[in-house]
Amino acid sequence: MMAASGAAPGASDPVLTVRDLSVISGARRRTKKRAILEGVSLDFPPHSLTAVVGPSGCGKTTFVRSLNRMVELTPGLTVTGEVRYLGQNIYDRHVNPVMVRRRIGMVFQRPTVFPTSVFENAAFGLRLVHEDENEVDRSVTEALQRAGLWEEVKDDLDRPALSLSGGQQQRLCIARALAVRPRVLLLDEPTSALDPAATQRVEATMQRLKEDYVLVLVTHNVGQAARVSDRIAVLQAGKLIEVGLTADVLERPREKFTEQFITGRFT
Amino acid sequence: MALPSVSTGATPDDNILFDRSARTRWRIGFDRWAGRLLPFLFLVAILPILDVVYYISKSALPTLTLKVLTDTSYRDPDALGVPIITTAEMMTLATLLAILFGLFGGIATAEFLSERAAGWARTFANMLAGTPSVIVGYLGYFAFCLYFGWGYTMIAGVLTLSLFMTPYIFRIADLAFSSIPRHIREAALGSGARPYQYILKVGAPIAFPQILNGVFLAVAIGVGETAPIVLTTHGSVILPQSLLSPAQFLTATIWENFNSPFPVAVALALQAAFILLVVVVGLNIVVRIISARYRKRLEGLFQ
Repeated sequence: MMAASGAAPGASDPVLTVRDLSVISGARRRTKKRAILEGVSLDFPPHSLTAVVGPSGCGKTTFVRSLNRMVELTPGLTVTGEVRYLGQNIYDRHVNPVMVRRRIGMVFQRPTVFPTSVFENAAFGLRLVHEDENEVDRSVTEALQRAGLWEEVKDDLDRPALSLSGGQQQRLCIARALAVRPRVLLLDEPTSALDPAATQRVEATMQRLKEDYVLVLVTHNVGQAARVSDRIAVLQAGKLIEVGLTADVLERPREKFTEQFITGRFT
Repeated sequence: MALPSVSTGATPDDNILFDRSARTRWRIGFDRWAGRLLPFLFLVAILPILDVVYYISKSALPTLTLKVLTDTSYRDPDALGVPIITTAEMMTLATLLAILFGLFGGIATAEFLSERAAGWARTFANMLAGTPSVIVGYLGYFAFCLYFGWGYTMIAGVLTLSLFMTPYIFRIADLAFSSIPRHIREAALGSGARPYQYILKVGAPIAFPQILNGVFLAVAIGVGETAPIVLTTHGSVILPQSLLSPAQFLTATIWENFNSPFPVAVALALQAAFILLVVVVGLNIVVRIISARYRKRLEGLFQ
């Protein structure tokens, strides 16, 4: 419960609040403007896993990347609206995006380990802030345990991270994100490059993590969303068209599009 | 909806497998013989190099003694001690300068400049790299020797050489950082790394072997350059006493002596050429060893 302790305003207040978020491409150039996201408003309560689903190109990835300002690394995109993390707007002029990314971690589609040892990979975020060596050891161990990788690597933490299997690499990436003790973890299709067995292990990891963190999972796999998520948000062409508890959305979709999408008639 | 059934018997299209026509046989034969002939074309390409190596070695080795390599006395004009030591000094300075400008410029281009500005920077670097060395030499002559009034000095030679070497290091640094997979960069920045932390902790270890290769190749190219040197500094028989004294580069010794009517002077030029040859071949071997060692460590990263 470590991650959720601290100066939270209230136990069940949302950790992340998204208000009227739009992302527009080509706004600063003379090229044609195009809205990738339009007026999305959404809350992320603590201890929950929200799955963001939708067809290809609906803005899922842009949405999740705009929750920790990673979207700014893509040139030519303009963000409007608010994303509040514990009440503070992360797009405020005085907010440093580096600090945002240290509190709101991210895991990508493909495993992105660095060409160093397993230990150094997990310790990457900690080394950026010069923590003391004992603290780094403790945090790395804890993060590897939480990511469900500890049993497989504890005997040889110095082996090259690139020698791990794809699924292990992805869990190492999760551990790297967890080591800096974020409250929020963004997962951008974390299993799309993995085989079924590895997918299962990553899903089990996500199930455990949602006890302590706010998880946002982008997936195009409705089955995965049904297995691991508490809530589902459906995006279509940049707009949030439906959000609700997983069971409600899957069993009693309010929108025609949602029904088509979850039954596989629209992909 | 019923699809038409697919016949499993042989059709006229299947004849392509058993094509015995003259045209096909000729093509197959051509492929086979081309494969056998190409290695010999490679021989044609390396024969002139081997000839040069043989000629220089044969002429230089019999008279090459330790005294020739190390004697720095101006009273002994048949020794190479002065140009060898001067070349080492000048190359060290020029390489340091070229690394300073090339590395910072290349990293800035790959990481910090906008796409448009980076395009211009690359264009100018390519133009500088494509400029004939004699033009760079004249630039150095007019700028350093005449305009700054330094005359034929070591510093003019060093600056001109570094100007000549910078674009090679710039290009390789830019390329090395640009070719780091985008997802690695995003993962580092997404973990809360500041841009300089990404460059030092993630980018540099990945780009290092390639950049080291580039530096060694730039040194190998620079050490064999003649035009930028003879236009800015040469004609000294002693070691340079300061940056503002004339300096004798090894290639300048070859240039001055090779067409001499005196056999002793020609022999000196050939000995200098032999030393350069050893240095350049040595540098290239070092580059290969380093690449091989680091390629293994980065295996699986560039998928």
